[in-house]
Amino acid sequence: MNDEEAGRRRARGELESEVMAALWAAGEPLTPAGVQAALGAGLAYNTVQTILIRLLEKDLVRRGPADRGRGHAYWPAQDAATLTATRMRAALDERPDRQAVLQQFAAGLQDDDVETLRALLAERES
Amino acid sequence: MTVTVYLPLLLPVLVALAARRLTDRARPRAAVLGLVAASVLTAATSVWSLLLLVLTLFDDLPAMKALNIRSGMHLPEPVPDWVAITASVVLAACLINLAHDVHHRRSTARRLRNAGPAAGGVVVADWSEPLAVAVPGRPGQVLLTTGMLKVLDADERRAVLAHERAHLTHRHHVAVLLASAAASVNPLLRPARDAVTYLVERWADEEAATGLGNRDLVARAVARAALATADFKTPAPALGVHGGVIVRRVKALHRPAPSEARWQLALPAAAVIACLILAANATLDFVDVLNAWLIR
Repeated sequence: MNDEEAGRRRARGELESEVMAALWAAGEPLTPAGVQAALGAGLAYNTVQTILIRLLEKDLVRRGPADRGRGHAYWPAQDAATLTATRMRAALDERPDRQAVLQQFAAGLQDDDVETLRALLAERES
Repeated sequence: MTVTVYLPLLLPVLVALAARRLTDRARPRAAVLGLVAASVLTAATSVWSLLLLVLTLFDDLPAMKALNIRSGMHLPEPVPDWVAITASVVLAACLINLAHDVHHRRSTARRLRNAGPAAGGVVVADWSEPLAVAVPGRPGQVLLTTGMLKVLDADERRAVLAHERAHLTHRHHVAVLLASAAASVNPLLRPARDAVTYLVERWADEEAATGLGNRDLVARAVARAALATADFKTPAPALGVHGGVIVRRVKALHRPAPSEARWQLALPAAAVIACLILAANATLDFVDVLNAWLIR
């Protein structure tokens, strides 16, 4: 499977969320080329550009002139995410047993698991 | 009304035993479906048994009492009244428990669903605590915090998204809800509920691994996300699957995918069949008693 195929196979929505995630993870404004590099999945430049415009229209990202060269740099809209966090925290803080009612990724780590996990990670990375 | 009315209340022990054996041996999907079906059916027979016990109070209704005295005949009393009264209290408690549980899940999901705007089914919250949550609904959403996004690389983020989307696609919240509902009816089913809670995570892990074609990648994402959460004081998990749920998931991903083994579902199936036979038997007994009351 080459990269082009991989790109096409992924649904539009999935790409939107991946671009959004990449922008947040970067912690600084990214140009479309920067997003392309961050995703590391061989997406076409035009595809990335289209997705960024769509996110801009949804008011989920902002853009400004790029530091170097021409074009724009994009960053995630802070206000929406801050508000989301406030609401999320309010909903979760009410629950003393949030793990019992939510499908939460990688929750439930126990103290003595930390060393075991580090060892498991190291073992695979070597 | 003999022992057959009480036995269905105890047989879920078999389902709990099966849950123990199935975890980490069977394919998560088969194990979840088997355990949920067995839990729901055995819980239903538990409720039915309690209901039959409560109904034996029928002869204590004023009309029946009057009949009893007038005719000078003694109505059969299949179950001591104190047992029947206890059963009615237990049944009421079960149903209140159940309603409570369902209400809490739904209200939490509703609040989280309205937390913020989604891009491709994903809502990002700017919060340092690493969290990734599948919020059921139509459509379902994945709620991610920036704290989670920042500790993972692009491939790992893809693994987390694939995992959470698998929860939504396969409606895992329904499986967990049914298993918890069954456990709130009969506490003997709690180990089965805990196993289901663990197994839907395994199912989503396996699905993500298949989708991305990389088991190691998913294992790494689980491990790194979990380690990131270790720095935060999250409420202690109320899970019965002891001994490091995360470690078990990572180790399972380091092994080849478990293969299908249908015979492993034989134990829960046996529990269900036994419960149904006993419940039918108890029902027939009850019909006999009813006949004695009404026809005499």
